[in-house]
Amino acid sequence: MATTIIETGGLTRSYGDICALKPLDLQVPEGEWLSVMGHSGSGKSTLMNLVGGLDRPSAGSLMVGGEDLLALSEDGLARFRREFVGIIFQQHHLVPYLTAVENVMLAQYFHSVPDEAEARSALERVGLGHRLKNRPGELSGGEQQRVCIARAIINSPKLLLGDEPTGNLDHKSTVMIMELLKELRAEERFTVVMVTHNQEVAAWGDRTIYLDDGVLVREERTNS
Amino acid sequence: MVAVKLIPQLISWFGIVLVLLRGFPGLRSVVTTTSISGFAIGVSGAFFMFRSLPAAIPFGAVKSALGVSFLLLWGISVAAIYRSTGRRVTISSGARLVNTSIGAGTGAVLAGIITGLVCACRISGTDGNFPKLLFLVLIAGILTVIALAVEKRLPASLTVSPSGMLTAVVALLLFCSSSSLRLDLFSPLSMKVMKGVHDFVHQFMESVLIPDHLFVRSVVWGYIGLLFGKEVGFWGGMIIWFTPAILIALAINFQRLPSVAHIRQGARRRKLLADAIRNKRMLLITPLFSLAIFAAAAYQSSFPSVEYWDPKPEPVTASPSGEIFIPKKGEINLEDGKLHKYLFKQEGKEARFFVLLSPAGQLTVDLDACAICKPDGYGQAEGSVICYYCKTLIPLDTVGKPGGCNPVPIQFTEKADGVAIDGMTLLNAWSSTVRATARVKEGGK
Amino acid sequence: MHRRRWLLQLILRALAHRKGRTLLLLAVLAMASSLATALGIVSSSMGKRVAEEVRKYGANLIVIPESARLDVGSGGLNFGVVSEPAYLPQRQVEDALNKSGLKVERSFHLRGAMHWKDSDLMVEGVNFADIRRLFPWWQLKGRWPAAGETVVGSDLATRLKLKPGDTLELDGKAQTLRLRISGIVSSGGEEDGLLFLALPELQQALGLDGQLTLVRLMVTAGKDSLKKNAAELQLLLPSAKVNEVRQTARTSEGLLAKVKLLMIMVTAVVLVSAGSSVAGTMSTTVLERGKEIGLMKAMGGTRWEVMLIFCGEAAMLGVLGGVAGYLFGSVIAQFITRTVFSASAEFIPWFSGISLGVSLFLALLGSVGPMIAVFKLDPVRSLRGE
Repeated sequence: MATTIIETGGLTRSYGDICALKPLDLQVPEGEWLSVMGHSGSGKSTLMNLVGGLDRPSAGSLMVGGEDLLALSEDGLARFRREFVGIIFQQHHLVPYLTAVENVMLAQYFHSVPDEAEARSALERVGLGHRLKNRPGELSGGEQQRVCIARAIINSPKLLLGDEPTGNLDHKSTVMIMELLKELRAEERFTVVMVTHNQEVAAWGDRTIYLDDGVLVREERTNS
Repeated sequence: MVAVKLIPQLISWFGIVLVLLRGFPGLRSVVTTTSISGFAIGVSGAFFMFRSLPAAIPFGAVKSALGVSFLLLWGISVAAIYRSTGRRVTISSGARLVNTSIGAGTGAVLAGIITGLVCACRISGTDGNFPKLLFLVLIAGILTVIALAVEKRLPASLTVSPSGMLTAVVALLLFCSSSSLRLDLFSPLSMKVMKGVHDFVHQFMESVLIPDHLFVRSVVWGYIGLLFGKEVGFWGGMIIWFTPAILIALAINFQRLPSVAHIRQGARRRKLLADAIRNKRMLLITPLFSLAIFAAAAYQSSFPSVEYWDPKPEPVTASPSGEIFIPKKGEINLEDGKLHKYLFKQEGKEARFFVLLSPAGQLTVDLDACAICKPDGYGQAEGSVICYYCKTLIPLDTVGKPGGCNPVPIQFTEKADGVAIDGMTLLNAWSSTVRATARVKEGGK
Repeated sequence: MHRRRWLLQLILRALAHRKGRTLLLLAVLAMASSLATALGIVSSSMGKRVAEEVRKYGANLIVIPESARLDVGSGGLNFGVVSEPAYLPQRQVEDALNKSGLKVERSFHLRGAMHWKDSDLMVEGVNFADIRRLFPWWQLKGRWPAAGETVVGSDLATRLKLKPGDTLELDGKAQTLRLRISGIVSSGGEEDGLLFLALPELQQALGLDGQLTLVRLMVTAGKDSLKKNAAELQLLLPSAKVNEVRQTARTSEGLLAKVKLLMIMVTAVVLVSAGSSVAGTMSTTVLERGKEIGLMKAMGGTRWEVMLIFCGEAAMLGVLGGVAGYLFGSVIAQFITRTVFSASAEFIPWFSGISLGVSLFLALLGSVGPMIAVFKLDPVRSLRGE
């Protein structure tokens, strides 16, 4: 029986009158690949932000990796994010004036000390050994997403969060990215929480939960 | 009143307790009790010493204690820098001892005793009574408790290495002693350096090494003259003063980072490195802070807030027979134990001198200049006169005796109603003294 | 790689990415700090300049015999009024000056009348070396006289139709002198109507050995006021009258004060406008880079660490602007002093500290608002693009 890495109890997040996430109870065992599906505005991104320590819940309890995120200070949350979480964004969010290697090194800088050799090998691992010195503007969407993945895993996070990582990619690139993530998970054994509205992408996970209007409506296991 | 006079000392005491508490984590109670009891021992020890012995002895004792602690810091700093170069020095048993409760207790007691002595000296220099001293111990106790509370609130990452702790404690001790004139170490130190250089160059000149002064070019004389200035003493003193703290900071800076090559996971490897670097930086804070305190002590010593009794020289004239007569009573009472300065001018020549009643009840007439320094003159402070140029304190008992930086004594005849000095003798003594001291200053011409 | 070096690299990359904006900010900062530096340099050189100007205007104290009634302010010296000329013994004046210990430049004058052809000429005996030092604005056609020579004031020369090379025969009370004219001098003042010869020659010719009618002194303005100096000197010279010639110095000081005030006002205006333009540009930059800031925070940078990066950028701009400002400011100062005061400004190295300080202060002050925005920015919202 694997230990639980994410445990929420009555987790709620409201913005003024709008309740983005109704009280939610969720457990994620360590090493699981959880897909979160729902329409836009269904609260799936809110859930991801809460779990990643980017946002604070309005009510309820939230334990991630043994840390009570509600008890952490602002700087404590930042420490939690850099040591525990890696995030892949739909828009990549690479720093435009830094090369691929430097974008990875930026994550190392916030975590501890920059180490160029390690950043290079991380990029080689995601198959970008030939584009180390290119700026994001010179890379294709798939390549940018791979830089984003290298950056997310460089600090060996326990938890990898994906916010529609393939939302802007064509089918071929999507498959490549998902294959890559699967491979990396096998090696690094991190837990994945991936938000998507794409059924096909969700199917890569072990389990899928469906959110609608901030409420967990359905949950299903994938057989793979 | 007492508390105001002792503000620098009490601040130092607070700092010392704080540093000791940080330096011996986990030994809070030991450090607290031993340091405050040390303080009490120091205060009462000083009290009894002042009661039973002449004032010079307790002052001397405290000064030597301070000097020894500074020398200890020197020793430790040299050992630390030596060790940081990677060589093994067998001080590990000593280092182990430092972290036991015995080591912590001893250190705290010693620091407490010295601080207590310094504080007591500061009061007892004028008058010491028991309630005042009790009050002092009480304040120190309260400060200790405050320090205990403050220390708990300091960030945990702010650690202190044993050598850093020693640096800070010695710096604070020297800072709190620098405000009392008779305990100050920096000015005597720079004076010693100046005199040392002076004597050395003198010997060098006298001996065969430079056969004849005529061979020395005037440019060279200019440089040799530099060696005799106050600046040499000052800068030499500065070097000796700051080196130990700098060495200890360097030793910490040279510390090797932990070997991380064997750790496979990059993130963990980097994390270890980053933590080690941060830790090192935190350890550096105390020695660097101590440097600032050392600087403050040196500043306080160079520009003491003590006010000197320094009357404006009274012009005097000689009688036709060439005799200067100064009456004992009149506008100025010669026998009030204060320094009385006079200025004698004749035919374009002038001489400054003073008359002083020594504690032994003997009148003495001296030039307002010594045989070594530039004639900047003297001022009077509690129990001594000070040479303004080299900041040497000369006890009142020895004023009137020749030698060193003592004022140059002048022959005089004491009469029932005053003192009589021969004008020519005075002028000659002044010009020969001043010429001798100016010669080296102005490059030997 | 060290964190600090990485931080520097990051800052440089970010600045290089927005070249236009970086250059604009640099120009503003350099402009402001260069103006402050230039004004500072000019105004500090001005102090010395005024002292020099005072010197150029010549004597600031004059000593005249007690009984002589002279109108000092106008400088006019009408011998008709003085029925019985009084004299100052030269030795006495020299002694008094030595005793007073003042730092003075002196010029001794003896005025008297000598007979030439049918008329009396006003003749002044001076030491030409002193004249050249104290009255540098005297213009001379020809050359300064040697022994047995004389220079003639330009008005007198025109009136009597004299020219260099002519020889004059002058009758004094004691002697007759044959003098060759070596040059024509013009000062724009009463000197133009006089004839000048060496002091000892005139003293001999008039039979007034060691006597003077006027001593002009140039006391270097020290700590003590001129008034005090004059009073001191008066004590030592009981038989004479010591007067101040203060006008020129006072005017120069007043002018300097006004110029300084003007400079301070201009500098203040420039600094305020530069500061606000820095603030404006910085806030636009921070607004544009919201996503970047959010990303840095999402990656685990604390609010302080992220702010440090942006403060570092501002500080870098400040330092570069300060260096450029110092260099540029020195050039401006040089230009101003060359064109306005026709003198060269000094090279004052410690002003680099001031220009650096001004530029850094502006850059950081201008960034306070934007930095608060950086500090507060919420990563979730900024990443969503709000």
